[in-house]
Amino acid sequence: MLGYLLRRLLYALPIMLGVAFLCFMLVHIAPGDPLVSILPADASAELQRQMMRVYGFDRPLPEQFLRWVWRALHGDLGTSIATSRPVTGEVLKAVGNTLMIAVLASLIGFSLGSLFGFVAGYFRNSWADRLASLVSVIGVSLPNYWLGMVLVIVFSAQLMWLPATGAGPGGSGDWRWDWAHFQYLILPAVTMSFIPMGIVARTVRALVADTLAQEFVIGLRARGLSEGGVLRHVVKNCAPTALAVVGLQLGYLLGGSILIETVFAWPGTGFLLNQAIFQRDLPLLQGSILILALFFVLLNLLVDVLQTVLDPRIERG
Amino acid sequence: MTAAIHTSVTPAAPGVVRSRSHLANVLHRLVRNPLAMVSAGIILLLILMAVFAPWIMPHDPFATSMLKRLKPIGTPGLPLGGDELGRDLLSRLILGARLSLFMGIAPVILAFILGGTLGIIAGYAGGWLNTVIMRCIDVLYAFPSVLLAIALSGALGAGITNALVSLTIVFVPQIARIAESVTTAVRRSDYVDAARASGASALLIVRKQVLGNVIGPIFVYATSLISVSMILASGLSFLGLGVKPPEPEWGLMLNTLRTAIYSQPWVAALPGLLIFITSVSFNMLADGLRSAMEVKQ
Amino acid sequence: MSDDTYRSAPIARLAGLTLALACALGGSSLAAAQEKTLRIAMTAGDIPRTLGQPDQGYEGNRFTGITLYDGLTQWDLSAADKPSVLIPDLAESWAVDPNDHTKWIFKLRPGVTFHDGSPFDAQAVVWNVDKVLNKAAPQYDPSQIGVTASRMPTLRSARVIDAATVELTTAEPDSFLPYNLTNLFMASPTRWQAKFDAVPATVTDPAQRAQQAWTAFAADASGTGPFKMAKFVPRERLELAANPAYWDPKRRPRIDHVVLLPLPEASARTAALMSGQVDWIEAPAPDALDAIKARGYKIYSNLQPHLWPWQFSLLPQSPFHDKRVRQAANLCVNRDELKTLLSGQMEPATGVVEPGDPWRGSPSFQVRYDVAAAQKLMADAGYSADHPAKIKVQTSASGSGQMQPLPMNEYIQENLKQCFFDVQFDVLEWNTLYSSWRLGAKDPAAHGADATNVSAATMDPFFAMVRFVSSKALPPVSNNWGYFTNEQTDQLIAKARTSFDEQARNQALGVLHANIVDEAPFLFVAHDVGPRALSPKIGHVVQPRSWFIDIATMTMD
Repeated sequence: MLGYLLRRLLYALPIMLGVAFLCFMLVHIAPGDPLVSILPADASAELQRQMMRVYGFDRPLPEQFLRWVWRALHGDLGTSIATSRPVTGEVLKAVGNTLMIAVLASLIGFSLGSLFGFVAGYFRNSWADRLASLVSVIGVSLPNYWLGMVLVIVFSAQLMWLPATGAGPGGSGDWRWDWAHFQYLILPAVTMSFIPMGIVARTVRALVADTLAQEFVIGLRARGLSEGGVLRHVVKNCAPTALAVVGLQLGYLLGGSILIETVFAWPGTGFLLNQAIFQRDLPLLQGSILILALFFVLLNLLVDVLQTVLDPRIERG
Repeated sequence: MTAAIHTSVTPAAPGVVRSRSHLANVLHRLVRNPLAMVSAGIILLLILMAVFAPWIMPHDPFATSMLKRLKPIGTPGLPLGGDELGRDLLSRLILGARLSLFMGIAPVILAFILGGTLGIIAGYAGGWLNTVIMRCIDVLYAFPSVLLAIALSGALGAGITNALVSLTIVFVPQIARIAESVTTAVRRSDYVDAARASGASALLIVRKQVLGNVIGPIFVYATSLISVSMILASGLSFLGLGVKPPEPEWGLMLNTLRTAIYSQPWVAALPGLLIFITSVSFNMLADGLRSAMEVKQ
Repeated sequence: MSDDTYRSAPIARLAGLTLALACALGGSSLAAAQEKTLRIAMTAGDIPRTLGQPDQGYEGNRFTGITLYDGLTQWDLSAADKPSVLIPDLAESWAVDPNDHTKWIFKLRPGVTFHDGSPFDAQAVVWNVDKVLNKAAPQYDPSQIGVTASRMPTLRSARVIDAATVELTTAEPDSFLPYNLTNLFMASPTRWQAKFDAVPATVTDPAQRAQQAWTAFAADASGTGPFKMAKFVPRERLELAANPAYWDPKRRPRIDHVVLLPLPEASARTAALMSGQVDWIEAPAPDALDAIKARGYKIYSNLQPHLWPWQFSLLPQSPFHDKRVRQAANLCVNRDELKTLLSGQMEPATGVVEPGDPWRGSPSFQVRYDVAAAQKLMADAGYSADHPAKIKVQTSASGSGQMQPLPMNEYIQENLKQCFFDVQFDVLEWNTLYSSWRLGAKDPAAHGADATNVSAATMDPFFAMVRFVSSKALPPVSNNWGYFTNEQTDQLIAKARTSFDEQARNQALGVLHANIVDEAPFLFVAHDVGPRALSPKIGHVVQPRSWFIDIATMTMD
């Protein structure tokens, strides 16, 4: 087990370097001027040259990459061009904000998804199955950010029950765990939960149906075990995989929140990325993508390890 | 945004080399699944609609008119209403089937070919070649799909071709991983060993034994990716990447009509309805295929 | 001025929780009921920079420029029914040196202090000029050059004469200087110096120290404006508080707090207004205007210093090389009907500025809708229904100031068909269009277009006229995309530029404008009206004919 863990960690290192490289390349092959956020289009050529020198964009690309990686290893991801604030701090704060809605979304998705999936798998091929499957599939069959917009219009603009945008009446800076703040979490988290809910539901449905059809369950029933007991067995068998799926989904939510955060103006990594893309703020863009991808790699690693711990029967190649 | 990767592969019963009867079995089971058949029917209708669009459309999908902006469903001359520039929504939805289905299916097909090939090679070859290929795939896989699609599109620029490239690159790692894992499982099976022992060339083995058993699961997974691709493409156009106006494409239409929800909610939701129907149909079909291929002995 | 990390004692946390519960249960909390807070949603994607030179275009100047700061001069924002003209701000009066037209003497307003209490004087003016023009100054900040230096192209340096008098020097005689100075906001040198001294000694490089000082200043800014900075949460919100000690008693704010929120997404912005989360949104979604009005919100709009034109190419191969063709196009667009089609959200353009503006002059060519006259001009130029003028126009699908480019262009295309024009469009992405605008009609980026549809801000003489028609403004120097060169126009520009008496300058600009309308280097189509949606609780709202609006004179119920 320890050997497996070490091997996985070792594998992760070149992956992370590859991620850093890909991240850097993606950002630098983008067409457009890296200084567009602080230089208006009518700036003179001399001014442009001067600014490129100040920000180090006139150095050859490999040199820029190595400098960036070297500094990144020391925790310094540079400063945002548009705001002159350090990237690391901004991104980590944004990650915190995204985690709030992502974790809540995962919880909602896991609970509802498991519920629907269980019902569907237990009553396989009945009307309950069809209904539960249909409900859980809505979220993955429509763009979730669009559903979010509809929810905002219904619950905010029309009914005025919940706020439409933002991370709290005073911004994310003074977050408190009270209703006045929590209500800002609801719509974004619910919108984000659609996809995990759908995926968990499908997974759980398949798992439950498979498990129930297996011989040992038939055997258990034959030996007189109560239905409740059978259910407990099923849940025990399905839990590890379901948890793994949710864990992976959390990673996707963390990295894929850009559209939802744009709709809700939620100050997380997605919102930051959106601003970075359109302002062509290279250091911010590189830094955000890198941190998100690294989180994802680590999360994958964690999920793998947990799965192995929980269910050693799973073969690891 | 991928489904959990369970490779519940049960290769055809040992000794059965003729994959044709396996395929026939699968189709036989599929046909008996009413939900899958309905879905397949809907998909066929959509494809026909896309193919014959220029002949079915009642009006010009590009003709704007300020007077006809945001007219409700049932307005004379605008059967399903007018969009935010006064164009006939019905005609745009019909023509939009082309680009929407294209953005859903084409990246998946390309990724299927590319990812499948890479995965099968890696899975069959094993050893250092496997490591190199799979580690490269892992670097791409390390990015969450939405993030990668947007980063790639942002780097390449807006436009259909660039979006196609981005989405393909996003799906290749997922398909490659499944292909590799399935191929590895098959490679280790007895009859492949037997075939090797009997001196058959690698290519022959791959063609006869491996492909038949491997294409199935990859195909099922790829089918479920089609709806993901459509929705990702709509996300790209939301950010101004991907398909650009005035091309009719359901995801783009959903985005440009979003502020019209205040004045004409039903008109604004119509493209979403079509995306929904398409996605559900492809997913139901994929589910049906998966059930049909899972043979319980 | 707190920073954005949440730190609080348990008692305060409990108090906060109680307050929050009261909020949830009853509506506004005790504290808020006595204080008036105005919440504004901007179209900018981030909070415009608060260190004195805002980014995010004119929206930045509107919300973090004229609120927190003053310049030497300002635009008069007090009236909606007349053009917005230049009036004194921190400078009470100014005059050019009669013997040397490159030197200006500005007499400063006495008794003005910055928010931090330090006095505003000539030293402060020189300090602020140096921050963008003097590389040797410790406060020199390259990141502020882009939005400043390009808007004051001729300013070179400043010099203290005495505490209340400062001398500005330009590279060449330029009577437009006072207009340019509306863009230079006065930041407090004392506050900046305090931030500079607070930078850790481990940072030795002076440029880095300066940059960190400016970053710290941006989080805790000090200017002379009617509002002070109260709270700044990066990328999320900026809170301003009224400055009761503002030097102009007529502009001391009657609203206690202003909260600025960046909401670039139009549907999110509209939802924020409809849900009552904000009181004022910029640029509401046009499709939602009816729903917004139905809820009782008020839509304000007014003519803006903005021009939505086709800028013609006068290169030999373009049909618009012929003045008759240019004038014919101008006679062939039904602007009134276009206004109806845009639900009233535009004003017809018959020039860069309209009658009533001090720079209007008396053009002999009247821009109007007269198809017969247009057809005659086209026939004279050799075109007919069978041999139309084939033209290609570059435009974008969206963009700041572009209004509704696609439907507007399609409408014009239909109109022009009657006058023997065959119009094709080359639709580009906005940033691409804007960049290629600077490169000119001869550049490959123009794709051989005969006209480009790029809207322009037209607040000062250079931005409104000179940059489009001067032979010194040819690409890539400035925005004379179509290579319009006319000796008479150049002479008129030189005259306007060297008329230092205000009356004479306005008159000279009037003559220049009349010349421009007659020569018709543009298809004049529309002016934007800058719609915004406000809650009926906000009173004394005046939307002037300007990009800016004065919050300091507003009230709130």
